[in-house]
Amino acid sequence: MGLSAFARDRNIRHFWWGNPERDKRTLEVIRLFNEKNPGIVVSGETLGMSDYFTRLTTQIAGRNMADTIQMGYGVMFEYIDRGAILPLDDYIGGVLDISKMDESAISAGRVDGKLYALSIGANSHVAMYNTRLFEEAGIEFDPFGWTYDELQSIAAKVKETTGVFGSDDSTADYQVFSDYVHQRDERLFDEEGNFGVPPQVIVDYFNMFAGMRAAGSVPDGRASAGLIGTEISNWGIVTGKTAITYAFSNQLVGVQNLTQDKLGAAMFPNTPAMIPGSIIQPSQFICLSRDTVDAEAAVSYMSAFVNDPELTAVLGLERGIPANSEVRAALQPTLNEIEATSVAFFDGIQGKTMDLLPPPPSGAQEIEAMFKRVAVAVLLDQASIEDVANQIVREAEGIRRRSR
Amino acid sequence: MSFRSRLRRSVPGYVFLTPWFIGFFLLSIFPILASLYLSFTEYDTVRPPEWIGLENYQYMLEFDYRFWQALKVTFTFVFLSVPAKLTFALIVAMMLDKGIRAVGLYRALFYLPSILGGSIAVAILWRQLFNADGVVNSALKLIGIQGPYWLSDPSYSLYTLVVLAVWQFGSPMLIFLAGLRAIPQDLYEAAEIDAATPMRKFFAITVPMLAPVIFFNLVLQMIDAFKSFSGAFIISGGTGAPLDSLLFYTVYLFTEAFSYFRMGYASALGWVLLVIIAVFTAIAFWSSKYWVHYENERG
Repeated sequence: MGLSAFARDRNIRHFWWGNPERDKRTLEVIRLFNEKNPGIVVSGETLGMSDYFTRLTTQIAGRNMADTIQMGYGVMFEYIDRGAILPLDDYIGGVLDISKMDESAISAGRVDGKLYALSIGANSHVAMYNTRLFEEAGIEFDPFGWTYDELQSIAAKVKETTGVFGSDDSTADYQVFSDYVHQRDERLFDEEGNFGVPPQVIVDYFNMFAGMRAAGSVPDGRASAGLIGTEISNWGIVTGKTAITYAFSNQLVGVQNLTQDKLGAAMFPNTPAMIPGSIIQPSQFICLSRDTVDAEAAVSYMSAFVNDPELTAVLGLERGIPANSEVRAALQPTLNEIEATSVAFFDGIQGKTMDLLPPPPSGAQEIEAMFKRVAVAVLLDQASIEDVANQIVREAEGIRRRSR
Repeated sequence: MSFRSRLRRSVPGYVFLTPWFIGFFLLSIFPILASLYLSFTEYDTVRPPEWIGLENYQYMLEFDYRFWQALKVTFTFVFLSVPAKLTFALIVAMMLDKGIRAVGLYRALFYLPSILGGSIAVAILWRQLFNADGVVNSALKLIGIQGPYWLSDPSYSLYTLVVLAVWQFGSPMLIFLAGLRAIPQDLYEAAEIDAATPMRKFFAITVPMLAPVIFFNLVLQMIDAFKSFSGAFIISGGTGAPLDSLLFYTVYLFTEAFSYFRMGYASALGWVLLVIIAVFTAIAFWSSKYWVHYENERG
């Protein structure tokens, strides 16, 4: 048995978290890349977001991560810290071309001066609202500058005129909560990494939605409790049970695909002080993993993923707004209605957001899970709001102590 | 036979056993011992394990309220679902034993859930069924009952899992059926001659004769129930929600290991579960000498 006379294909694995729409597009991109690059064979692996990091942890321990993996801004630092991701600096100018990338996106992927991650989309918080219901109720508001007081009256009006609940109940929604914390000029974590939210801020936050529950403009607390962490098809705006759902701007495309009514995009409501609460974050990155079998092939795939016009045309805006200025320009004429809405939203929030925060300390993920768990007690009316707020602060401190 | 020739004769036996031994040591014994070692360490899978002695166990018993919650949920589940499952299984087995027509069909139908039940697909389906406006509540509405929020109300959520477990009664039922068939009919005939009521027949003949089978089912189902994972994991969305009412011990162990990189602590949790299961199994075995009598025993 002699050796094959042909050169061996270089096999690269790409692992990402997705949804049906993203998976469809990414697999198409992989197919195109393989066609254009004989000699390199990329294969795709995907999971839902809630399972992705569990699988990744197992692979880190088993030293068989895929060559290129998807990362998020919040969690990336823990993985870099653990040595699971390799720096890309050696490939810049070679197989990796970042000349057309936004400087902000490049620096977001730098840690300790080294480039670890390529941004594959930027996003921000968005309040998706049902434009048909809003029209029926005759709502007029400034999507980039409305307040929580306005939210209360809008939600009540929508419920009154259309019978549909005006808004999702964000009591246990950590993203809406984080924005509120910033809008109150506080920070989730201080410089030392201690949990920095005063209990009173948490109490005020919970009270807003308690008021809306009492007024009947958001669903019953028990119904909302059942929706925490659920998949997109159960979201209020998709099932038609509520007129506003709070999510990320890159999910607009996926959600619109599941919804008949046209979606509108607004920022999260503000406090009267109008302090910005959201950030524009590079939502997803593609990284080179420690276990790559062929770094050069993997990096050339990554470079094509963010630069190649044919590939980026397929990816579109599904993961967020591309960081490559040429790609954005090329996409402009091809956008459908919801994509145009999300780009317009993105343009509209410029200047109304806060600066990118420093990476959260370890334990941040656990604190988020704890918040989502403990806040349910408020939804179910099983404890007083003050008690729950104090419990959240206590547990967050406990988690931080354990994570040091 | 001399010792040496006896030894030589057993060599082929050992040689045939070697493949299994290798698998057993590598895939069972070694991981078990490794997890025992890890339970005394702090290990996040990337940095090497760091020895911390009994700290994991101390934290578990002194500070970890979710550990106690997990125990409470798991014990409630075991002590609700196992008796219910076995009772159901016995009742249905007795009905099938009456010699009705198409007994084979019924047997297959009742057994089907226990094959499918542990699967992810059924758990996802179960979640949909018990949705606030799902099939179960719609059925209840037909008879005028306003169903609760099964999956978001901590006072009801565990029952959905108990029902899921009891629904899988088919496999203990089959074993009961076989056990019932083995009871000699003349015992019942003798009892009838003495004008025994059905209840008397049940408690004086059926139960004692079935005792070994009941014991077998009890131990197996109890161990299984302690290890129950996929139903709770899927139905609670992986978190034990709402308010940790579905935080089965195994789910808690899983999230500690794979969400928070606390492999050492999770190993400690695993060993505690092992001890708990061993204790309850030992209790069952000890109690069995009072109520389980095998046919070949004397007295």
